[in-house]
Amino acid sequence: MNDIAIKVENLVKKFGKGENEVTVINGANFTLKKGEFAALVAPSGAGKTTLLMMIGCVLEPTSGRIEIGGEVVYDNRWTIKDDRALRRKKLGFIFQAHYLIPFLDVEENVSLLPYENGEKPEVVKPRVKELLDYLGVGDKLKNMPSELSGGQNQRVAIARALANNPSIILADEPTAALDAKRSVDVVKLLRKIAKEKEVTIIMVTHDERLLPYCDKVLTIVDKKIEVKEHLEGVII
Amino acid sequence: MINLAYKDIKYSFTKFIITAISVGILFGIVIIMIGVYRGMIFDAKELVKDIDAQLWVVQQNTLGPFAETSKVHEDLKDQISYQDGVKYAEGITFQNMQMKNSYGAFKVMLVGYDPLGKISPINPNKIIAGRPLKKEHYEIVVSAKTHYKLGEKIKLGRDYYTVVGITKNTVSNGGDYLMFVSLKDAQILQFTYSNERIRSDEARGIKGGNPHLVNAVIAKLKSGYNAKKVAREIENSTHKTVFTKDEEIKLLLQRVIKKSSKQIGMFTAILIIVSIVIIALIIYTMTLEKIKEISILKLIGISNFKIIKMIMQETLILGILAFISGNIFAHFMADKFPKRVVLEANDAWTLFIVIIVASAFASVFGVYKVLKTDPSEAIGG
Ligand SMILES: Nc1ncnc2c1ncn2[C@@H]1O[C@H](COP(=O)(O)OP(=O)(O)OP(=O)(O)O)[C@@H](O)[C@H]1O
Ligand SMILES: [Mg+2]
Repeated sequence: MNDIAIKVENLVKKFGKGENEVTVINGANFTLKKGEFAALVAPSGAGKTTLLMMIGCVLEPTSGRIEIGGEVVYDNRWTIKDDRALRRKKLGFIFQAHYLIPFLDVEENVSLLPYENGEKPEVVKPRVKELLDYLGVGDKLKNMPSELSGGQNQRVAIARALANNPSIILADEPTAALDAKRSVDVVKLLRKIAKEKEVTIIMVTHDERLLPYCDKVLTIVDKKIEVKEHLEGVII
Repeated sequence: MINLAYKDIKYSFTKFIITAISVGILFGIVIIMIGVYRGMIFDAKELVKDIDAQLWVVQQNTLGPFAETSKVHEDLKDQISYQDGVKYAEGITFQNMQMKNSYGAFKVMLVGYDPLGKISPINPNKIIAGRPLKKEHYEIVVSAKTHYKLGEKIKLGRDYYTVVGITKNTVSNGGDYLMFVSLKDAQILQFTYSNERIRSDEARGIKGGNPHLVNAVIAKLKSGYNAKKVAREIENSTHKTVFTKDEEIKLLLQRVIKKSSKQIGMFTAILIIVSIVIIALIIYTMTLEKIKEISILKLIGISNFKIIKMIMQETLILGILAFISGNIFAHFMADKFPKRVVLEANDAWTLFIVIIVASAFASVFGVYKVLKTDPSEAIGG
C-alpha cells in the first residue's frame, strides 16, 4: 500500500544563533521507497552526516517534516515519543568510525540490539554468526574490538547495523576504512540486503566506483537535495 | 542477555578492583573509628564490671573514684560492712603510673586491694598465667600487654615486686593496662611522700608510714536487697557519697569519656560524609569515562533504563566490594591499635546500609549525566 520508506519535506537545519548562525540544509525534499539503495555524495562539510542524523532522529532539525516508514517523526517538532525504540527496531547505523563498545566482544557488540529487542539467543546467535561470516570476521566472535584491525572492526560495525533486521540503514562512509575489494563486497552485501529484505539504504560515500551499485544518487546542491535516478550502468 | 555492568567491570577489572579497595580502606577507617568509639565505652565499663561490687562508697560530694579524686579512711570498710544489707566491704585504691620496660614506656593503672579480703577486683576468668595476689607485700599481677613475665621483678617506689599472675583484657576506664598490688603496698605507693619528705617529717616528729587511706570502699550486698535503697541509707548514716554499680558506670560514661567519645563520634560522622562524597565523585568520573560509549549506546537505540542499570549495578558492586575490603582491612588493623577496638557486626551492617543508600544516591550524578548525554556527541569531533 504505502511503499514510502523515507520522506523528507522542506527540511531546514541551522546551527548556532545570531551572528554565528549557519544554515547547513535549507529546504531539502526527497523520497525513498522501500528497498531502494541510495548514495549520498557531496563535498566535505556539505551536511551529509547532519542529514543522516536528522533522519535517524538523533539531531533535531530546525523546521520541515520527516516521515519514516509511513510514520511522521518530525513535523516542525518531534512527533514520536520514543526515538530510541524507533532506532533499535527500524534503523541500522554505520558510521565513519566503527564506534564499537570497547568492553564488549565482537559477538556481544553485534547481539546487543537484537537482545534489546527481546529476541531469543537461539535466533540471535546463528544470525550474528552468519553475518560475521559473511563479512569475513566470523572467526573473531570472542575477540575484543581492541584486538581487531580498523577494517575488521568496521565490518563488525556493519554486522551490528544489520543485526536488528532494520528497515532503513543509514551508512556514513561505511567503506572508508576498507580496501577496494572489501568496499565492493560490502556495497554488494548492502545491495543484496536492500533487495532481498526491502531495506532502504542511504550510504554516504566519496568513492565513485561504488555508485553503480546504487539505485539513486543524492547530492547536496545549494543546501538542497538533488536526486539522480536510474543511473546508467547500474549493476544488479 | 548481556549485562553491561558485568562486561565493563570485567574489561577494566584491575582498575575497578583497585578503586574498590581504595574506597574500601576509607570504609575500613570508618569501621575502625566506630570500633575505637565502641572500645572506649567498653573499656570505661570493664574494670567496674570486673570488680563487680554493687556499691561504691567515696568521699562526700565527690564523683570518685574515677571521675574525681576521692580519699576515705580504710576503717570505713568496717562501718560499711555493718550496714543493713551489706555482705562484705573492702577498701580499694587506684593510681595512675608511668612504667618503662624493654617494650617501651606506657601508662598503667595500679589497683590496690586486700589479697586476704572478700572482694577481688581481678576477674578469675581473665587470669591466663599464675594466680591472684596471696601475700600482703611485694607481689604483683599485671595485664599481659605490659609484656612483663611471670617471676619478673618490677621496681615500684623503693621496692621490687614479683610478678605472680598475668591477666588478659584487663584495662582501666581510660583503656590503660592494669597492675594489681596489695592494698598495703598501694597505700605506701600512693599516699606516702618521697623519701626526703618522710625523713624531714620524722625529724619534725611527724609519724610517717602508712596513712591507711583508700580511694573508695566497695561493697557486695546480701541477696534480696536493693542496691539503690541501701546506697541512700548509707549516705544518710555515714556522710559519704555512695554510687551503685550502674551509677558508677553511668558516671564514667557521662563524665569521664563523654567529650572524647563525642569527638570520635563527630570525626566518624565527617568521615562517613567524606566517603560518600568520594564514592559520588568516583561514580561520576566512571560515568564520564564511559560517556562516549554511553552516547553510542543511545545512538544505536539502547534504552536509558539499560544504561542506568549499568551505572547503578557498577555502583552497587563497587559499594559491596569496598565494604568487604573495608571490613577485611579493619579486622586486620584492629589488633594493631594500642587501645581496644571493638568491631561489632551490627555497626558493620548499619554502615553497609548507609553505603548502599549513599551509593545509590551517589549514582544519581552518573544517571543525570547519562540522561543529559546527547547521542549525537558520539559522532561529533
Ligand atoms: N554541532 C554543530 N554545531 C555547529 N556546526 C555544526 C555542528 N555539526 C556540524 N556542523 C557544521 O555543519 C556542516 C555540515 O557538517 P557535516 O558533519 O554534516 O558534514 P559532512 O558532509 O558529513 O562532512 P564530511 O564529509 O567531512 O563528513 C559543517 O560546516 C559543520 O561545521
Ligand atoms: Mg560526515
